[in-house]
Amino acid sequence: MSFRKRNVGLSAGVDRAGTVNGTAQPPRAPATPESIPGVRPSPDDGKPTTSTGTPSLDNLLAGHGGLPLGKVLLVEENGTTDFAGALLRYYAAEGVVQDQKVHVVGMPEQWGRSLPGLLGPADSVDDKKDKRKGDRMKIAWRYERLGEFGAGIAGSRAPAGDQSQSAADGDVDKRPAFCHAFDLTKRLTHPSITNLNYIPLAPSNEPLLTSTLKRLQAVIAACPPNTVHRIVLPSLLNPAIYPPETSQPDNLLPFMHSLRALMSTSSARITAMITIPLSLFPRSAGLVRWMELLSDGVIELCPFPHSSDALGSSGAATSQEEPPQGMLKVHRLPVLHERGGGSDQNIGQDWAFTLSRRKFEIKPFSLPPAEGDKEGQEGAGAASGGMPKKAELEF
Amino acid sequence: MPTQPPLPPLLTPYVSSLPPSSLTVLSSVLGATGNWLVLRFLHAALGQPSTSDAALGFSETNNGKKRKVVLVSFLRGWEFWRTEAKRLGLDLARLTDKRQFAFIDGLSELFSVPTATPTQTSPSHNPQLRGAVPPRTVLPLRPQPGPVPARGPQPAPRPVATAPNTPTSREIGPVKRLHLSGNGNAALDALEKDITAVINDLKKSMTTGDGQEETEVLLVIDQPDLLLAATGPGRGIGATEMGDWVMGLQQHVHATLLTVSADSPLIHNASTFAHQPTTPLETEHAAFSIGSAHRAHMVMQLRNLETGAARDVSGVLRVSKGGAWGQDDVDDHWEEKEVLYFVQRDGGVSVFGRGE
Repeated sequence: MSFRKRNVGLSAGVDRAGTVNGTAQPPRAPATPESIPGVRPSPDDGKPTTSTGTPSLDNLLAGHGGLPLGKVLLVEENGTTDFAGALLRYYAAEGVVQDQKVHVVGMPEQWGRSLPGLLGPADSVDDKKDKRKGDRMKIAWRYERLGEFGAGIAGSRAPAGDQSQSAADGDVDKRPAFCHAFDLTKRLTHPSITNLNYIPLAPSNEPLLTSTLKRLQAVIAACPPNTVHRIVLPSLLNPAIYPPETSQPDNLLPFMHSLRALMSTSSARITAMITIPLSLFPRSAGLVRWMELLSDGVIELCPFPHSSDALGSSGAATSQEEPPQGMLKVHRLPVLHERGGGSDQNIGQDWAFTLSRRKFEIKPFSLPPAEGDKEGQEGAGAASGGMPKKAELEF
Repeated sequence: MPTQPPLPPLLTPYVSSLPPSSLTVLSSVLGATGNWLVLRFLHAALGQPSTSDAALGFSETNNGKKRKVVLVSFLRGWEFWRTEAKRLGLDLARLTDKRQFAFIDGLSELFSVPTATPTQTSPSHNPQLRGAVPPRTVLPLRPQPGPVPARGPQPAPRPVATAPNTPTSREIGPVKRLHLSGNGNAALDALEKDITAVINDLKKSMTTGDGQEETEVLLVIDQPDLLLAATGPGRGIGATEMGDWVMGLQQHVHATLLTVSADSPLIHNASTFAHQPTTPLETEHAAFSIGSAHRAHMVMQLRNLETGAARDVSGVLRVSKGGAWGQDDVDDHWEEKEVLYFVQRDGGVSVFGRGE
């Protein structure tokens, strides 16, 4: 300030304020360089990203607001539930809606017919928005300190604050939607759903995964160069789908490596999501660790054993919130960890996930007050939960 | 936080002067990858000594010798290294043209059959790179980016495994691609031959003018443990073969940096006290990485914070003496140390002690 001449008008100052605002807000250019639907530049480094179909998962991915093209996301799941399958269906459905080429490996066509039905762009469908705004004032204020999780740095939703809210709502209509909301109880009917490409696991004289990869390569090479691809690999290694020899390292790891090679060619616009059942292939096994090392992002789902009854009332921080159905652990994030990792604000959080009819939501997990702890429960109910307050006192 | 120099001062003694014919092992885990540290090694070897380095007295580490680097990467492609190095101010494409740096791509076509190579990326590199360089005196030494001329005088010719490869293992742009075919030692020998060809080629090509005869080549092998994991004893490649392979490559270069994964399942499952049955993958991996650490001059381990994740700490770096430390009379001016590091969003790294 002291460098400015005193007798110069204030217009420069206004300009300066404008630029400061511009840098503080991540550059959210609505138009991608090539303006491909469903692809937008990451607010972090400008690399093209695409949505996973789950807004809260998009926000988790290290500030990119989506899965950067060329990256593999590995979703691991404990137990016999199929939450990861729901994530995959959202991912595939988002690809269908965005007219991307979706390749489904090892699944029959019924899988594609059971994709969740489209509700609309994720921003406008959020019917709870108003209610949540009310909540935020009363109860969920403590989440606000956690960096606006719902909005995220990437901001697939409107930023907080009433004025910008309405402005952003106006923008939503003009911008092509990046992420959509789906309803698991309905079935997706979209003209391009017939474009789903199924790659069956047909036995041949080659090793199974080699021929699968070749087929994948051939299909991708045959597409016009601007096509965005999504590769969906549901429950890889599951013995109900894959023959036992696929889980040999010298079959599986070359496949993962070649998949990585295929995706790392800069001309290809591919993302992939893989799920594996951890109960059969535990994380403590060297093979699974190598699969993780070969993936760009690794998240683990740990569903609670009896989410419906025991934890039902106490797991949720409030009665209005849906109780969490499991914990989500982030082991590796795309791009961020490749660079060295660690500077993301989402890292080190405990996450819980809730799958409802309309969305898969990931939010910060907070332990409920102990069952017998009447005082603590009342405290939580009165929205003066002990934890954040204590933290404020200490720091 | 103030802007960091590309090379944090605390790291400089560790990355800037590697003793001759030494092996440095850099181990990483899933959540604490070592690419940033590899890039620091590249910067220490290739970067121009900046004024701040000179002021700190680190510029004499070059000893007037020309340093070159060959980077063999099995998990990451040329795009990644190029963009990340650029964030450090290191233009790898330009250095490749100046014959100071060579990248060997072990990712793109390592397991793919030679026929299926629809790669549009590198040919687009090629003309602009070649076109951008003014004709130098270097070029007559390498008339064409075709078959490497140094391949002929190589010892240990193994025509068995390489024969089907030679038509496709052409150099595309700045990048040489590795192919793995065949089994056991023959496959590894073919890889070794490809890599040493690049090394010798780099050694031979003199940079313009100043008549320095001595060139020090640093060989960086990024995650060769993938080779081991993805082949396994079924294809006749085990820890012993891999160890021999690395040792064979070491003979051709001044110093070697080897990065391996050291996640707990890969190292500890092999111990007899492990609670679960051990697979060959785990035993071989443990044998290879621990064996390498024993042959190393210095071991740098990256790991996550034990106390959980923190927002201003990416992980812990521990530098310790390897099994081969002190075998030759090099005065080492570094000490064992454990520090914390933090990789910022802009790619800068700060390294600090606990509590600092």
